[in-house]
Amino acid sequence: MSDYLLDIRDLKLAFKNYAGLVEVLHGISLNIRRGEKVALVGESGSGKSVTARIILGLLQELSSARISGSVHFEGQDLEALALRTRLALRGTKISMIFQDPTSSLNPVYTIGVQFNEVLKRGNPGILERDAGTRAVSLLQDVSIPEPERVLASYPFQLSGGMNQRVMIAMALANEPSLLIADEPGTALDVTVQAQTLHLMRDLVERRGTSVLFISHNLGVVREFADRVYVIYKGRLVEHGETSELFHRPRHPYTRALMAAVPRITGGGIPEIAENSSGFTEPLIDHEVSP
Amino acid sequence: MSPVVRLLVKRLSISIIVLIGVSMLIFTIARVIPGDPARIALGPNATVEQVDQLREKLHLNEPIWVQYGYFIRDFSRGDLGISLYTNRPVTTDIAQFLPATLELVIVAGVFMIGFGIPLGIASARYRGKTADNVIRVISLLGVSAPSFVWAVILMLLFAFFLPLFPIAGQISDTLTVPPRITGFLLVDTLLAGDIPAFLSAVHHIILPAFALALSGIGQAARLTRSNMVETYDKPYIEMAQSYGFPARRIANRYAFRPSLIPSLTIIGLDFAAMLGNAFLVEAVYAWPGLSRYGVQVILRKDLNAIVGTVLVISATFLIVNIIVDLLIAYINPRIRLAERGRP
Amino acid sequence: MRRTFSILLSNPLSVIGLILVGTVVFSALFADFIAPFPSHRGAVVDFSNFNQPPHWPNIFGTDLVGRDVFSRILYAYRISLMLGVVVLAIAVPIGVTVGLAAGYLGGWADFILMRLTDVFLSIPPLVLAMSVMGVLEPTLTNGMLAVTTMWWPWYARLVYNVTRSEAQEGYVLAAEIIGASRWHIMFREILPNCVPSIVTKMTLDLGFVILIASSLSFLGLGVQAPTPDLGSMVAEGGNYLPDSWWLTVFPSLAILIAVFGFNLLGDALRQILGSDQ
Repeated sequence: MSDYLLDIRDLKLAFKNYAGLVEVLHGISLNIRRGEKVALVGESGSGKSVTARIILGLLQELSSARISGSVHFEGQDLEALALRTRLALRGTKISMIFQDPTSSLNPVYTIGVQFNEVLKRGNPGILERDAGTRAVSLLQDVSIPEPERVLASYPFQLSGGMNQRVMIAMALANEPSLLIADEPGTALDVTVQAQTLHLMRDLVERRGTSVLFISHNLGVVREFADRVYVIYKGRLVEHGETSELFHRPRHPYTRALMAAVPRITGGGIPEIAENSSGFTEPLIDHEVSP
Repeated sequence: MSPVVRLLVKRLSISIIVLIGVSMLIFTIARVIPGDPARIALGPNATVEQVDQLREKLHLNEPIWVQYGYFIRDFSRGDLGISLYTNRPVTTDIAQFLPATLELVIVAGVFMIGFGIPLGIASARYRGKTADNVIRVISLLGVSAPSFVWAVILMLLFAFFLPLFPIAGQISDTLTVPPRITGFLLVDTLLAGDIPAFLSAVHHIILPAFALALSGIGQAARLTRSNMVETYDKPYIEMAQSYGFPARRIANRYAFRPSLIPSLTIIGLDFAAMLGNAFLVEAVYAWPGLSRYGVQVILRKDLNAIVGTVLVISATFLIVNIIVDLLIAYINPRIRLAERGRP
Repeated sequence: MRRTFSILLSNPLSVIGLILVGTVVFSALFADFIAPFPSHRGAVVDFSNFNQPPHWPNIFGTDLVGRDVFSRILYAYRISLMLGVVVLAIAVPIGVTVGLAAGYLGGWADFILMRLTDVFLSIPPLVLAMSVMGVLEPTLTNGMLAVTTMWWPWYARLVYNVTRSEAQEGYVLAAEIIGASRWHIMFREILPNCVPSIVTKMTLDLGFVILIASSLSFLGLGVQAPTPDLGSMVAEGGNYLPDSWWLTVFPSLAILIAVFGFNLLGDALRQILGSDQ
């Protein structure tokens, strides 16, 4: 039995369309220990977001998706679990935060109503009043100044940064052991993004939550992650501890990616030459201290 | 002034402008009649003097804008003139026939929403699957026939072939009709405490109301489906899924309500269109509503009655649309809170 | 065009729609050759064979004066289709022009034209057509006029909405900068972008014009006897239910099939042309 919280082995994904099967992931293996923050880095379309969605079981609902390989979470094979048990993990043991906070919150319900539902996922018997106090304290944890006012608001009445904090608070509300962050805050401006990421790092470190951090932004990854996987066109190309990988990138693709980091703004998708011959070289695995 | 009140005032004033427009339009249409309405009303045996007298009384010898002036003057006093067909004030006639029509339309509206929206939700939830395809074909069939075709088919199937429902009328002949208070039979029988009469009235209204509702049901299902399918692509649905809420809850709560907002306007229009289609269903089921009266006054070129009937129906139509706008404002916090800013 | 066609053929529902519409159009065009009793479209009387249930050669039975119901349905299709085509041929250009002008010119043109459209749209469609029909003599031409009166505003609305959003696009601005005339911008630049929505709506509407026209004649406000018409056939037969069921059932189904076919086809076009509003 592995001591990993999340252990993905040889994950493959293909979509069926008119032309036949199109393979998107060509066999990915990655793992995360308890309390570890791991980043999955690559360009858009490289397969990082679909990996996150497979962990949650969201892609399995598509009839066109063909998935193979294994995903173990807390030692359990997720594919072997009954749908019910698997659904029960979502929002309780595993939760996810999304790219665009404002459009990820339902526009017709107040933050309070949506928070309440999330808390009920973790504790179905929770009293309305207790849920209210819990929500207020969780919002205080993410440094929201007037939690009661925010709970009474609709997402469109709040700033993007505020909604981002709300989403982080919701994701951590049921004390998950794994938090998946899919390009968090890319839709926000850079300073706000940096602030909320610091906040998120402090919170997960205090609680010992493991994080799978998905990003195309190396600058952000370097600040946040303990370990990094680099993904290119559905294949992992390089893996190592953050400092090691950033100091001694060995794979041609990683080097190109780093050379392309827009250092001043830190945002935006780096432009990389298409299909440089070295990019498809096999995975380079740095030594990882135990 | 709260945003909702402001919206109401704005909608009401636009509606009044539109209603004035409708009155001018229908007045113009009614006055370009070939042939002399006075002569038609009095019949071929009337003398020239009698016809002239009636023309004078109806101001038919004046230019059309003067006639319209007279009409507006009378209208502002709540007077729509005398029907040449029944020889009674048009307002009296409409007050007699309109409630039965409205009753039919309201029950049909309840069917339309009660069946159409859940079908649309189910269709969207199972999009691409067999259930979805079946519901889509059924809804398309629903909108593909005029109400009178459904009226005839339902009557054949469920009144003649399987005699589950009565063939015609509003209440069983063997029962005494309770005193008319509101004009709505379902309400009047209840007010009179006459349960057998109420049940009979319910029994009588189901088939015609369903025939009237069928195309609306199809339309509501199609609309709900297409708007919900669009909503399913929104990030907040994926977020709800990531929290593991059950599919049924995501459909009914997270996807339905945001997509109701664009559907409601059209559902309101369809509801209003039933005011017209009620004419067709009433004709099949001998329903004592506005239909027979409307068709008769049109065939007899009964000017006052035509103008009055169309105006009343259009006013009802506009009222329905205002109610729908208010409903949307209630559901959509963006409109409700538009001017108030942050709470 | 070829792509459109192959997508159309890949969806079984669209194929059914195509077959239904094809059958209806074919029987309308060639009614003279298909109908077993072409003369029965007029005022023919055959009391030796009246009010008979379906039998050979009267596969849909005969009506109260002995005419073949099947033959009359074929000729009724011909008139319905002609009515639909004529109504759209008049209503669409009017509606499109009003919508383009209101949407592109804005200001007072917008206010007056769209309020006028609202006035027409706030009378339930059938009631408006009924009132127009009521003041006119019930002939085919007047029927077309009545239905056209209630139809153009829907196109004005549709084109208005598309125009309003297209007018913000760069290509319109570019045309304005090089000094193109308003006329050119409206009809040469914006209109082509409205075409997919218009074509889709026209396909759907061919069915709905048939539906409304049959409703009018059902109420006795449409085409008059002895011209065969689906609506009046249902109305006449309705008095003889349930015994002479074939008098109503076949014309009713004929309406359903035609409108259903146009709807299936319109839906398919809507998906292909991506003009989902």
